[in-house]
Amino acid sequence: MKNSIEIKNLTKEYKELKAVDNLSLEVHEGEILGLLGPNGSGKSTTINCILSLLNFTKGSIKILNKEMNPNAYDIKKEIGVVFQEVAVFEELNVYDNIDYFCGLYIKNKKTRKQYIEDALSLVGLENYKKFYPKQLSGGLLRRLNIACGVAHKPKIIFLDEPTVAVDPQSRNNILDGIEKLRENGATIIYTTHYMEEVEIICDRVIILDKGKIIASGTTDELKLLAEIEEKVTVEVIDLGEKYIEEIKQMKHVDQVTYHNNNLLITYKKGKNNLLTLMDYLKLKKIKYNKIYSERPTLNDVFLYLTGKELRD
Amino acid sequence: MIVFKTYLKVLNKCKMPIILYTVILIFFAVFNMQTEDNQISFEQEKPDVLIINKDEEVGVTKNLMDYIKNNSNLIHIKETKDNINDALFYRDVNYIIYIPENYREDFLNKKNPIIEIKSTKDYQASLAEMMLDRYLKTANIYNQTSMSEEELIKSINNTLEKEVEIELTSKIDTENLENASFYFNFMNYCILAGTIYVICLVLSSFKSEMVNKRTIVSSMNYKKYNRYLLLSNGLFAFFAWLFYIAISFVLVGDIMFTSHGMIYILNSFIFNFCALTLAFLIGNILTNKDAMNGIINVIALGSSFLCGAFVPMEFLPKQVLNIAHILPSYWYIKTNELLKNIEVCNFENIKPLLLNMGVILCFSLIFIIITNIISNRKRKLG
Repeated sequence: MKNSIEIKNLTKEYKELKAVDNLSLEVHEGEILGLLGPNGSGKSTTINCILSLLNFTKGSIKILNKEMNPNAYDIKKEIGVVFQEVAVFEELNVYDNIDYFCGLYIKNKKTRKQYIEDALSLVGLENYKKFYPKQLSGGLLRRLNIACGVAHKPKIIFLDEPTVAVDPQSRNNILDGIEKLRENGATIIYTTHYMEEVEIICDRVIILDKGKIIASGTTDELKLLAEIEEKVTVEVIDLGEKYIEEIKQMKHVDQVTYHNNNLLITYKKGKNNLLTLMDYLKLKKIKYNKIYSERPTLNDVFLYLTGKELRD
Repeated sequence: MIVFKTYLKVLNKCKMPIILYTVILIFFAVFNMQTEDNQISFEQEKPDVLIINKDEEVGVTKNLMDYIKNNSNLIHIKETKDNINDALFYRDVNYIIYIPENYREDFLNKKNPIIEIKSTKDYQASLAEMMLDRYLKTANIYNQTSMSEEELIKSINNTLEKEVEIELTSKIDTENLENASFYFNFMNYCILAGTIYVICLVLSSFKSEMVNKRTIVSSMNYKKYNRYLLLSNGLFAFFAWLFYIAISFVLVGDIMFTSHGMIYILNSFIFNFCALTLAFLIGNILTNKDAMNGIINVIALGSSFLCGAFVPMEFLPKQVLNIAHILPSYWYIKTNELLKNIEVCNFENIKPLLLNMGVILCFSLIFIIITNIISNRKRKLG
């Protein structure tokens, strides 16, 4: 498998703080790599180093088998970046904004025109060409931001939390767009706080904490790390301590917590855990409002690995 | 090309300030020319004088009265104390001359008779005093000799009638040069407030943190990109300046076709270049459009007031002008002010002007160096 990006022993120090600590990773051609981590985990610093926006203390970064540096314009030509903050001109309409950012890469007017139309179609902004950013909703503005970043059809795309504060319709539209980009052969590095997005679109996930990679693999591989098979949540009022202790003794139960009338039970493995629990509640005549079972999330993995929530 | 094309589109959204400042410039220039004192000949003004004569109106006394009559508007009122005070208070009379009893006799006998006066102490009263003083001094000089009264009067009158002819040899078109200086001094404000503001507004869009970041990561060479921006700004500044110059030809007229006009144009061109570099510096430092408006107003108004764009330099306190030395506007306006008093524009005469322009270019160089340092630092986040 060819690598689009190769990072070896990347370290970025700010005086006494190590923002990125000896980080090595490879991004395979055509994959969507999710970069997960709480605030301050080093995601943005890593991306800024890859894009040569930041000097790094040591290590090496190769993109498309070439050493990356601020003046590597031939490499930059193949990179598209969508920053978390919207980067557009307030004075230009949707079409002109995409034209400008695409024009930084593509000189040929005719090609550019086609690329702009493709980008508009990708993010579903065909009907907003003449709109100015101030006239767009938050979701549409984010879509414009993405169109500006990918209009030149780059081989490698960095998407930094592109769905933050976006309505569900725009979010779905953006995720569909990312899928289309992958189908077109782009390699995507995707950072986000939303784990469900990562689970939907990422082929591989890297979890960062304190500038280090603490886990990497597919979402299924990562979930195995949490050593949890199933989570069951029961909404029950005033559950006695006696019952909690009895539930803890049940088969396959790993942990039991009861907080704000919510009983959370994690199971290490096993089948029919939900049915067994429901039988127990019925037997003890414990009334509950709702009960549901779910598979462990990446947040559980993160919680298991670091002892804190991803959004802390 | 895309940078220039986008620059024009953004510029189009910021055209209002430049229109506004152009209108202000034209309005004030036209207003100034309308109110300009266009008097080119002088006419002697005559003060209103009242003579209260206690002597007989003969001989030297009569001669004195005749002289005063000829050189002032003689006022006749009832010579009561109240009337006289009222006339002075209401400025019906500027100067009252009391000729004492036996003045003639005492004068001829060299007893130095005292002529009392009352005045409103304004400039017309000063004129009357000068007139009386002139007569008495002349009369006293001739009275030192042993002349007959008739000869004395004749000599006094001969001397007083002598006039000095003054021929103005200067060919300076003072009125038009004054107008040109006013126009170009005021242009200082328009360039600083209008051109710099527009350039900074446009730059604030291009240099806004996120747009700048996206540009840096693009395949556009960042130095090239900055050069395109500088070139675009330069072209805008040049055309804005050209527009102001075209207006100067309409408003100021013929003087713009002379060597004086050429120096005004050269000086404003250099100042415009300096303003461009200053705009680039401010545009690189500031990205907040609201703060920009305030800061540019402070710079434009502050420089214009401190350096004499609104109030002529000769009326400004020395301390203010000393402080103004650190501003490019001072050297620009100083050149305009010096230029209007230069008769022949040869190298020797315009040398100080060229030195001033050199100082403005030095300011530009400093601004360019600082901008480069800031721009290079901004390229890297850390």
